[in-house]
Amino acid sequence: MATECVTCTQYEVCTSAHPSIQEMYTKTREMGLDTIFDRYQAQQPQCGFGMTGVCCQLCSHGPCRISEKAPRGICGATADTIVARNMVRLAVHGTAAYSHHLEEVAETIKATARGETPYTIGDPDKLREIASVVGLDTGKETNQLADDLADVILAELRKSSGDPLALVKLFAPPTRLEAWEKLGIIPGGVLSEVRDALTKSMTSINTDPVDLMLTVLRLSLAAGYMGLVGTITIQDILLGTPGITESSADLGILDPATVNIVAHGHVPLMATAVIKAAEDPELNDLAKAAGAEGIKVYGSMCTGQELMQRSGSSAKGFAGQLGNWVTQEYIIATGAVDLVMLDMNCSTPGLKSTADHFHTRLVSVDRVVRMEGVDDHIDFKPEKAEEQARELVKMAVEAYRNRNGVTSIPEHQSGVVSGFSVESILGALGGSLDPLLDAVKKGQIKGIAAVVGCTNNRNGHDTKGLTIMRELIKNDVLVINAGCMSSAAEMQGLMLPGASEQAGEGLQAVCQALGIPPVLNFGSCVDIGRIGVAVTAIAGALGVDPGKLPVVASAPEYLEQKAVVDGVFAVAFGLLTHLGPVPPVLGSPTVTKLLTEDIEGLTGGKVLVEEDPVKAAAKMVEHIDTKRKDLGI
Amino acid sequence: MKEILLDYEKCNGCMACAQACAAEHSESKSIIGAILEGVPSRIFVQSVDGAPFPIICRHCEDAPCVDACMAGAMQKDPGSGVVTNEGHAESCVGCWMCIMACPYGAVARDPRSGTALKCDRCPDRETPACVASCPNHALLYMDTNVYADARRTAEGRRLLAIG
Repeated sequence: MATECVTCTQYEVCTSAHPSIQEMYTKTREMGLDTIFDRYQAQQPQCGFGMTGVCCQLCSHGPCRISEKAPRGICGATADTIVARNMVRLAVHGTAAYSHHLEEVAETIKATARGETPYTIGDPDKLREIASVVGLDTGKETNQLADDLADVILAELRKSSGDPLALVKLFAPPTRLEAWEKLGIIPGGVLSEVRDALTKSMTSINTDPVDLMLTVLRLSLAAGYMGLVGTITIQDILLGTPGITESSADLGILDPATVNIVAHGHVPLMATAVIKAAEDPELNDLAKAAGAEGIKVYGSMCTGQELMQRSGSSAKGFAGQLGNWVTQEYIIATGAVDLVMLDMNCSTPGLKSTADHFHTRLVSVDRVVRMEGVDDHIDFKPEKAEEQARELVKMAVEAYRNRNGVTSIPEHQSGVVSGFSVESILGALGGSLDPLLDAVKKGQIKGIAAVVGCTNNRNGHDTKGLTIMRELIKNDVLVINAGCMSSAAEMQGLMLPGASEQAGEGLQAVCQALGIPPVLNFGSCVDIGRIGVAVTAIAGALGVDPGKLPVVASAPEYLEQKAVVDGVFAVAFGLLTHLGPVPPVLGSPTVTKLLTEDIEGLTGGKVLVEEDPVKAAAKMVEHIDTKRKDLGI
Repeated sequence: MKEILLDYEKCNGCMACAQACAAEHSESKSIIGAILEGVPSRIFVQSVDGAPFPIICRHCEDAPCVDACMAGAMQKDPGSGVVTNEGHAESCVGCWMCIMACPYGAVARDPRSGTALKCDRCPDRETPACVASCPNHALLYMDTNVYADARRTAEGRRLLAIG
């Protein structure tokens, strides 16, 4: 297991923290294959106007960019307006994509309630609990109640922007609601909020940087309580709430002797059906007839995290997690992958240019996903999922027949403990958060850091995130992961109880007593909502506002628009939120000051921008210490 | 005498200079036209450890590329001081001695003709296209002595402020 960056001695390009990925990168270079690390280098230097957010391309007068020579765009827009308007456009994208995920799950629940899918309601207790919170008649039988709850979610998605979201009112801590009400940012129906924000950010409609930034906050609450909390809640109801389970990660888990299917993306619905289909004896016979020993379904990105955390229940048989966003092309370059199913989000066009060198078949499985050159589409339909899953397995077997037999699979792999959630932690602690809270009060655990979100090769793939995690646990800060950062920690063995040896004395003792790793796997990026639920539960147990807790958030390698709303959501939630790559706001003094200073007076949270991971961790620990002092613990 | 001078700290890597250079040397004299015609830029914005660094021919008084050119294609115009092979490119044999001799890497190979390609300081323009396009004033076209004078004043001010 590598504990430091191994890249710089090999190439000028700073590449990956993982030896497996570094090994695959060497192989792709030998093959003359351009992959993400090469393309990143080819893009340098990158334009400073875009980097600082002061490039506006909205109208045909443009593009305009703000400089000393031209402090205003042709229409008169200042740097503040352009930066804030660009932020709205980023946030609206993230919010829209999250609501697509939520809608897919809600529609699947409805079809399941009608008995038309291969799924059964996975957590009836949670269904009853949530149904009762939203005021439904819980006397109904499970399927009818699930249908009613899905209707509530769909109605919440579609109602007007003037009608406050029920989930915000029902799930947010009262102190937060007060702060948000004061700012007028409690959102209504998500789709209406998306419409309003897109309208505002059109040319010459809303040019007030402060109102535009309040719109970003409002979108982040819509995304946070519907796209994150809403999605994980109903996904748990459908597929089961995660339970603590063991799995494995990294490219070394690929079995060269089996038909290998990779579930890649964010929405685990089709993948869950495919795992079930892969156990079908008839399809296994087909695989054997093709010369394979069996069929395996692996995970990549967040779909893999969703499967892993439910590998004790609805995703039994899951073969393990291969990697995160940056690793996708290198997974294919092993030559051992027969089919990659692309569900919503994070399938890069680079997948296709890599797959063209191998026998690997790419299939989009979500109606919104299309990729140039990919002609196979099996768009997920809940009532056809069983049949569609079988079709995908058959396609994989067919592709396996075209494998030329040569695979190059790095040997690296690691064990993982997965499936942490409020419910599974409560289960492990005997029904109460007290043992954990006592450790925090006593200072054995100084605080909690959610190190979440994407991966990025701007500063070396996973290098920055892993450095921050290691620094934090060394300082007795318990780390929680969600999203691509989960894969980073999995591949490095940080999610094994034995990793507590790398933690400070206090945290080490707690981990050993409870048998938990110092870095807890909360799952996919949508599971940031699960972290929100956990922080709300801790705040409730201690009777304080989340902003007063010794809790910080970090998105050390944030990449795309969903991560933008995640980060702003954490700030709205009252948390110090570290961002690794500098967001495109530096061109605007107003927006920069708002996010890094002024917003603390409004929501209690603020953005910490620090590119040096060691310094960033030190600043987060300092913040945790201050919060402890303020709480008198 | 005027030269193209660089204030590299002001460069933010937007590459407007490279686009303007290609446009100026294209048939259509436009950025989109230059892309369609495949016209290369003669100014380079190098990424040095992530920081942008603009590089362009210095039109040296004693130009190593001129000395190295055995074909006599690369010449320094005694009037304008411009170092170029424009007008004599047909005698270029493509030995690339000029590329090896230039300490700045400011000479390139023209993929279209297979001859040496470098800044000609835009003979049809009063201010070179790259300088005119720079939104950050990182590129300057001015008399070297005027530049030096401004530098002296700025440095004096800095030292006096330190005390």
